[in-house]
Amino acid sequence: MSSNDPTKLIEQYLERVRVYLPLDSEDAIVELQTHLIEEAQRIGGGTMTAGSAMMAIERMGDPKRVANEYAGSGKKVGPVPAEYVNPVSRIIILLLGVGAAFTIGLSLIGVTITQLFGADIQNWPFSIPLMIFLNLFILFVIIGGLSLLDRDKPLTEKTTLESIFGIGVDGFKAKGRWDAAGDFIMGVFWGVVISIPSIVILYTDAFKALYIYVVIFLFLGAIRGALFYFGGENNFNLAVEAFLSVVWIALAVILIDVGWPIRYVYNFNGSTWALFDLEGFFLSNDIPFVPFDWIWIFIMFVTVVISVWRIFASSMKISMYLRAGKRLWWQGNWGERRRLRAPLWRRFLGEHDQFQQKDTVYHDGYREPEEEQ
Amino acid sequence: MMYSTLLRTLLKEVNTVSMSKKTQEELDRWSKEVKRGAVTLAILALLSKRKAYGYEAVKLLDAKMSFLALEQGTVYPLLRRLEQRELLRSEWDYEDPTKPKKYYAVTDEGSMALSEMSKAWTNLSREIQAVLTEVE
Repeated sequence: MSSNDPTKLIEQYLERVRVYLPLDSEDAIVELQTHLIEEAQRIGGGTMTAGSAMMAIERMGDPKRVANEYAGSGKKVGPVPAEYVNPVSRIIILLLGVGAAFTIGLSLIGVTITQLFGADIQNWPFSIPLMIFLNLFILFVIIGGLSLLDRDKPLTEKTTLESIFGIGVDGFKAKGRWDAAGDFIMGVFWGVVISIPSIVILYTDAFKALYIYVVIFLFLGAIRGALFYFGGENNFNLAVEAFLSVVWIALAVILIDVGWPIRYVYNFNGSTWALFDLEGFFLSNDIPFVPFDWIWIFIMFVTVVISVWRIFASSMKISMYLRAGKRLWWQGNWGERRRLRAPLWRRFLGEHDQFQQKDTVYHDGYREPEEEQ
Repeated sequence: MMYSTLLRTLLKEVNTVSMSKKTQEELDRWSKEVKRGAVTLAILALLSKRKAYGYEAVKLLDAKMSFLALEQGTVYPLLRRLEQRELLRSEWDYEDPTKPKKYYAVTDEGSMALSEMSKAWTNLSREIQAVLTEVE
């Protein structure tokens, strides 16, 4: 979908470039963004218009090539062309990570992958190579078809393939600052709530013996949130996240056997609050307690899947940062993307993007002359 | 007789065209190799006089060195590589939040490299010039 808003055109084009760049390339994006704005302003004689932005984008060229030149990999890996190495490896890692997370999560709740769809897969594990081959074949046919359909799209519009690759970019985005603040607040809040004596008396005996470890874990999670809030994404914080995820998986292995942790609920009998034996009620009325156990298993499954993914993503990012020469601690970012346009609420209040009226003035005072028509 | 003269003239023309095309190709190849070596020196020399941000560097190089015909696709990756090799350092200027600028300047290591590269370039130019004068 083409737009008449020059800033939107530039953002859309940079979104395409981002797909082909390595992770942690926000600096490169900002540098290219400034280049495009200044070039568009120069072409437009000091004002950026949709036409001048489009011309600047066309001069910069194909996003794949721009990203590859900027990232400077320039090497093809196996059958994968150089410009596709970053997005393809990222999406493969994402799929592997998600696969590993679900496999571990499922095995924790006692389901093997061969039973996943209700019936055992025949000839396991000898059917694996055939399944991989068939899936790859189908994938290549789909990718080929999608690429043919996308041939005539403008430079500012993502191709279908790039939209798929974009999942890889979002999957590894750094934790947002407000997410980190949320982790801190929720960690402290739930840590306090589940250790209040009037709440503790509601637990089953098995959970009572263990709840303190959950409280400690929640407080550690709050510390992790605070670290991310102040330090952004860096190797120390990622290592803390990976460590806590390992701890949680170990804890979940024990907690899953404990089963649904709440035995009593508070019941108001007209004058006072009394304890009502939830489990006893179900059992004495011959109602299976199974749904609560299922809910508990589901909660454990989801949290373990998230933890495995965190271990996977953290390890990958730490190795990436180490390769880039970074050490343990630095002021990292929070996964934010620099937006060219003012947020909707500011535009609603009448605030416009300022740069459209600004000329390019270099640091030594030199002013870009208007382009001759 | 007239036809054979015409044919000879035509063949000569075709030969001249093919020769010039070949020469052009050779010139292009040679230019590319010369540019590859010269561009690092040009960027270091430019940034040793004044710091500049990416777009500014592209425009300055474009204005001052038409032979190099440098585009952003060459300049940005080179700036990045020179920074990684610690010949350049950079700092962000967020004065205009809509257009943050990454300024590049030459490091001490870069200045020393530039000085040695300039000497080597001057020697090379002088010697090449001497050889060319002998040929002429």
